[in-house]
Amino acid sequence: MRRFKEFLIEKIILLNGFACILFVILIFFFLAKDGLTLFKTVSPWHFLFGTLWNPLAEPPQVGILPLFLGSLIVTLGATVISVPLGMACAIFIGEIAPRWIRELLKAGVELLAAIPSIVIGFIGMTMLGPIVKNLFHLPTGLTALTGSLALAFMAIPTIVSIMEDAISSVPRSYKEGSLALGATHWQTIHRVIIPAASSGIVAAVMLGIGRVIGETMAVMMLTGNASVLPKTILEPVRTMTATIAAEMGETVRGSEHYFALFALGLVLFVITFFINLAADAALHQKQK
Amino acid sequence: MKTKVMVCSFLFFIGILVPLTGAIAAEGSIQIKGSDTMVNLGQAWAEEFMAENSQVSLAVTGGGSGTGIAALINGTCDIAEASRDMKPQEWEQAKKSGHDVHEFKVAVDALAVVVHPSNPVKELTFDQLSGIFTGKIINWNEVGGKDQKILVLSRDRNSGTHVYFLEHVLRKGNEKGPEQYAPATLMLPSTQAIIDEVSQSDSAIGYVGLGYVSPKVKTVAASKMNGGPFVQPSKAAAMDKTYPIARPLLFYTAQAPQGSVKAFLDFVLSAKGQEIVETMDFVPLGKKE
Amino acid sequence: MLNLLMEKPMLQNATHDVEIKTEKMKISVNGLNAYYGSLQVIKNINLEIMANRATAIIGPSGCGKSTFIRCLNRMHEVIPKAKSDGEVLLDGENIYGGDIDLINLRRRVGMVFQRPNPFPAFTIFDNVASGLKLTGTRDRAFLEDAVERSLVKAALWDEVKDKLNHSGASLSGGQQQRLCIARALAVNPEIILFDEPCSALDPISTGKIEELIHEIKKIYTIVIVTHNMQQAARVSDYTAYFYIGELVEFGETKKIFTNPSKKETEDYITGRFG
Repeated sequence: MRRFKEFLIEKIILLNGFACILFVILIFFFLAKDGLTLFKTVSPWHFLFGTLWNPLAEPPQVGILPLFLGSLIVTLGATVISVPLGMACAIFIGEIAPRWIRELLKAGVELLAAIPSIVIGFIGMTMLGPIVKNLFHLPTGLTALTGSLALAFMAIPTIVSIMEDAISSVPRSYKEGSLALGATHWQTIHRVIIPAASSGIVAAVMLGIGRVIGETMAVMMLTGNASVLPKTILEPVRTMTATIAAEMGETVRGSEHYFALFALGLVLFVITFFINLAADAALHQKQK
Repeated sequence: MKTKVMVCSFLFFIGILVPLTGAIAAEGSIQIKGSDTMVNLGQAWAEEFMAENSQVSLAVTGGGSGTGIAALINGTCDIAEASRDMKPQEWEQAKKSGHDVHEFKVAVDALAVVVHPSNPVKELTFDQLSGIFTGKIINWNEVGGKDQKILVLSRDRNSGTHVYFLEHVLRKGNEKGPEQYAPATLMLPSTQAIIDEVSQSDSAIGYVGLGYVSPKVKTVAASKMNGGPFVQPSKAAAMDKTYPIARPLLFYTAQAPQGSVKAFLDFVLSAKGQEIVETMDFVPLGKKE
Repeated sequence: MLNLLMEKPMLQNATHDVEIKTEKMKISVNGLNAYYGSLQVIKNINLEIMANRATAIIGPSGCGKSTFIRCLNRMHEVIPKAKSDGEVLLDGENIYGGDIDLINLRRRVGMVFQRPNPFPAFTIFDNVASGLKLTGTRDRAFLEDAVERSLVKAALWDEVKDKLNHSGASLSGGQQQRLCIARALAVNPEIILFDEPCSALDPISTGKIEELIHEIKKIYTIVIVTHNMQQAARVSDYTAYFYIGELVEFGETKKIFTNPSKKETEDYITGRFG
C-alpha cells in the first residue's frame, strides 16, 4: 500500500512536470497556427521588413519593422538604465550595507517588484512624462525614453534580486582570500566577487531584459504608440507588445489583421525564448 | 527556473478558471460585453434595471467592440455593445455560426475635437481634420494657427472611436477610402490619456467623447463642408444633427431578443433608460426617426 | 573543567617560562581578547612568535585557534559582529594601532585558508599574480617572474608550467592549496599564517605541503593552526596549546611533546582528551 502511494505521488509529480512542457508546446503551436496563416497572403519579407503598420487599410499594411525597432529602442534604453543601477544596488545590498539596511533594502526591492505595471504606467504618465517633456523641450512627454525609464523601474527588482543572490552565494573564502592578500574591499568586489558571480549577473541581466521586452501595460501608456521608425529615444514609438494589446480587442477574427497580430506574438515569443535560453545558458555555464 | 514554475502554475490557474467562468455564464445571467466607450453606460443601465428586476442578473464587461462581437459570435455573451457597425466579415461569421444577429441603436455619442486652450484655432473643416490626421497638414499655420508642428493624438485601434473617426472624418464618410492615420500619430490607450496630453501640450490635437470634455481643453467647431457652417459640439447640436461628428452606439443580439434580454432592451430604449444616457454624458436618441 | 578556569592566573604565567634567548622575536601578542558578538572566544592571550620559525597552534575544535591567527592579520574583524581588543606587536608596532595601514599589514602577513580557495574566474597565472595585480602592478615581465618564483617555491611549477592559462579550479585539491600558498608567497610577505591547511587534503598532498612549510620557513615566519598533533610535531619549532579560548601552555615543540609542564597538555597530546 505504501509503495503504491509512493508510486502514485511520483507519477503525479512527473505528470505535472510534463504538463508544463506540454503547455508551452501547446501555446507555441496555437500561436504558430494562427500566426503562420498570415504568410499565405503576406510575404515574410514584407512582414518583417515592411516599414508601414496600417492593419486597418485596404489591403492591410503589416510591416512590423517600426514595431520591432520600437521594442528594441525601449528595451535597450531600459537595459542601459537598469543594469548599472541594479548592479550597484545588488552590490550594495550583498556586500556593503550593514545588516539592517540590507533587510530594509531587500524588502523595498521586493515591494518594488510587487507594484503592478499599470500603476507604474500611471505614475509615469503623470510624473515622468511632463519631466521628460520639459527637460528636453519636446512636444510630448510620451516617448521611448519615458517608457525606458518606467521599464527600468520594473526590471530593477528582477535584476537586483537575482544579482544579489549570485553575489551573496560567492563563498566567503574567496572574499577572505582576496582581503588576506591585501586587497581593499572595493578591489575584492570588483576583481574577485563580481567575476565569481558573473554567470548569475549575466542571467540577471538577461531575465531583466526578458521582463522589459514582454512588458505591455506601462509601455502602452507611456510611449505614445506612434508606429514610426524611431530615430532618437526622444520620439514616440510603438512596441510589439503594446500593438498586440491595443489592437486585439477590435480586430475581426480571421482577418489578416488578426493573423498579423498572432504573427507578431510569434516573433515576440521567439525573441523571449532566446533571451531566456541565453539566461539559462549563462546560469548553468560550466567553469572553463 | 523560478519563472518556469510561475508560468506553469499560472497556466494551471487559467485551465481551472476558464471552465469555471463558462459555468457561471450558463447560469441564466445576461452577459453584456464589448465597447469600452459604453462600459460605464451599460453598467448604469444594468444597475438601474437590476434594482427594478431583482431576479435578473446582468454582467457588463469591456474589451472593445470587436471583442464583444466575437464573443457574441462564439456564444459567450448575450448582448454585444459596439461603438461601430459590424463589419461584413463579422456578419458572415455570425451567419456561418447560425446566428440571426439583430442590431439596436441605443444612444448617440458625439466626438469633440479638442486642442490646448492656448491654441488660437477655433474651427476646422473635415478636409482640414482629415489633412491633419493623415499627416498631409503638419503645421498649425496651415490652418490659421501658430507656426508650430502639430502633435496628433488618436485612440488606439482597439477603440470603436478610432474606427469611427477614421471612416467618418479621415475618409469623410467613404468607409473604404484610402486615407490612414499618419504613422506619427500618437495612439493613446484611453480617452483620459488624450485629455491629459492635450491639456499639457500646446501643439496637440485629439478627439474625445463629449462626456470627457473638461475646461483643461478647448473644443473646436467642426464643419463637414468647406466654408461652414461650423458647429461647436454639444448635446443639443448632436440631437438636432447639426453637429457632424456623432455616431450611434449599438447593441447586437444573436437572435431576436426574448425574455429578460428583451425586457432589458425595452428598458434601455424607454424614457428612463434614455435619461440615464443623458446623465452619463452621452446623447439620447431623441424622437423616433 | 571548572578547575581549569579557576587556575587562570597560573596559566598566564606559563607563557613566560619559554626560553627565547637565542631567537629573534617577530610578533608579540599581549592581552589579546576576541569576541563574536557578546561571546568571548579568545581570552587574554600573551604569546611571542619567533622569526623564521614555525609556530604550531594546537587544541580541540572550538578552542579559538583559528580565531587567534585571524587576529594576527586583522582578518577576524571581517566577519560581521566580530571584534577584538588587546595588543599585537609586529616588529614592535601595534597592528591594532590607529595609524596602521590594513592593506600593507595583510601584505606583510599572508594567509592560507583551511579549504583551498583559488579565485574561480581566474587562470592559474592570474591567481598567483592576483595579489600583485590588486595592488597595481602591471609590468608583465615582473609579474611573470614573480609567478614563476612563487610557483617554484610552492613546489607547483613543474606541474602547472604548461597550463598557466587554465582555470585555477581545474587543479586537484592539493594542487589548489599549493596554488594558494604560491598566491600568498607572490606578494612577498614576512609571515604566513596557515589555518589548518591540510584538513581538506589527502595524506600525499598533506606530505607535500608539510615539506613545503619546512622549506619556506627559512625565509618566512610561519604560524600554523592544526588539529593534527603529528603534523605539529613534524613541522613546528614552537607549539602553543589552546583550550576554550585560553593559552594553556606554550614552548618548544620538543618539550611540549615530550615533557609538557601542564597535565592538561599532556592529556591532550597523549590522546586521553580531545
